[in-house]
Amino acid sequence: MKNEEVDYVLTEAARAPYDLSPETLQHVAASIRLSFRPVRPLPPTWVMAGGLVLICAAVSLTGAARAGFFGFAKMDLQERLLVFPALILLTWVAASEYVHAMIPGSLRRISPGALLGFVSAALLAVFAFLFRDHQTDHFFSIGIVCLLTGFFHAIPAALLGWLLIRRGFAVNSVSAGLMAGVLGGLAGVGVLELHCPNFQAAHVLVWHTAVVPLSGAAGALVGWTLRFRASSSAGERANSK
Amino acid sequence: MGLRGRLTARTELREHAGRDFDCRKAFEPMHPDGTLEALMARYQQGDFSAATDLIERISPQLHRFFLSRSQSRTDADDLLQETWLRIHKVRHTYRPGEPALPWFYAIARHVRVDHYRKSVRTAVLERQLEAMSKGVEAVQEKSDSADGLNAMLAPLSESQREVIEMLKVAGMSLEEVARATSSSVGSVKQKVHRAYKKLRETMSATGFRKGQSGVYLEK
Repeated sequence: MKNEEVDYVLTEAARAPYDLSPETLQHVAASIRLSFRPVRPLPPTWVMAGGLVLICAAVSLTGAARAGFFGFAKMDLQERLLVFPALILLTWVAASEYVHAMIPGSLRRISPGALLGFVSAALLAVFAFLFRDHQTDHFFSIGIVCLLTGFFHAIPAALLGWLLIRRGFAVNSVSAGLMAGVLGGLAGVGVLELHCPNFQAAHVLVWHTAVVPLSGAAGALVGWTLRFRASSSAGERANSK
Repeated sequence: MGLRGRLTARTELREHAGRDFDCRKAFEPMHPDGTLEALMARYQQGDFSAATDLIERISPQLHRFFLSRSQSRTDADDLLQETWLRIHKVRHTYRPGEPALPWFYAIARHVRVDHYRKSVRTAVLERQLEAMSKGVEAVQEKSDSADGLNAMLAPLSESQREVIEMLKVAGMSLEEVARATSSSVGSVKQKVHRAYKKLRETMSATGFRKGQSGVYLEK
């Protein structure tokens, strides 16, 4: 059997008439009539993505202002010109995808997992190109501090980002949580690049980059928990009826 | 995938593109204000007649979408009702100018997945007992209303079936299906290709053949 024949059979079957009772349609119309009023559509993607980038920048600058701009002061011009534009570009990409995840029927250019992989790989490439000091001092003790500093700044960035686009509707809360986590993680990396004066390659490659997957995983976990709780409470309501 | 496979996939996709265009024409009335997109814009502005028009035009295909994986027609009715409540709640998330059909299907798909999770997680035993007692009637009720398409798509996986339903029943393009399923166009193409391969095998095995009048019949 050829593809054209399969296509023909499917198309013919799909053309079969399908009746739906007028009562069902009337019931649906009546159910939405009570709360009928005009609504304001969401702003364009670039406006919301721009807002998210500004939130990440504000969180990074505030965090670094509190802790000190030691990393920025130690960087040379080439490092500054590569690290910060790369961070802004990746934040823009993550913000646009996060906005798409919050609008049903949006065209997705990249899956949430691929976004996490792309952002992590891009950061690794930039850091590996710039930081060539292969000495390692207090790898774990200093590294954990940087990881936690980045992660704790990722949380407010993700929460503020969610506040900005809370009018959206995530058809997949785990994906949306992952995107929010990646975005927050990039704000956390921003704080570390501005603050941390430790330019040892292993430290920057492992602990600074790890903020993104850690916060992405945390975001996905939050999304999964919310979905689980929503379906559990709905199930309890259905059982109590 | 070999050269022959790639060529077959391209032929399939060209076929879909052409057929999608025809299907969409059937849904769109002559007056431009009557397109789904224009109706959605009026719905957002608070025009109740636009909402009822949308309900009349979209509900049959959404109901069919739900019925293919529901226990009974009553379940599909409930899912349809729930979907419209959700659509109404998040109608501000539709962007004027964007294709409306993928937006509707993305929400319908979310409701269907959500419903499936709830039914698995809660009252599984009660449902099983209930299903056992009502099983015979439910099967009868569904088989009465189910069409040939459901039977043909039965051997496909959930995701392949969903994609074929959207392409064939809703008349969506590959890009629109990608939008509705929150995936990439490449992923949709791959699912379509695999689904067609499986359907070719199944239909050849079960014995679809072309009759003298050109109509395909089961042997």
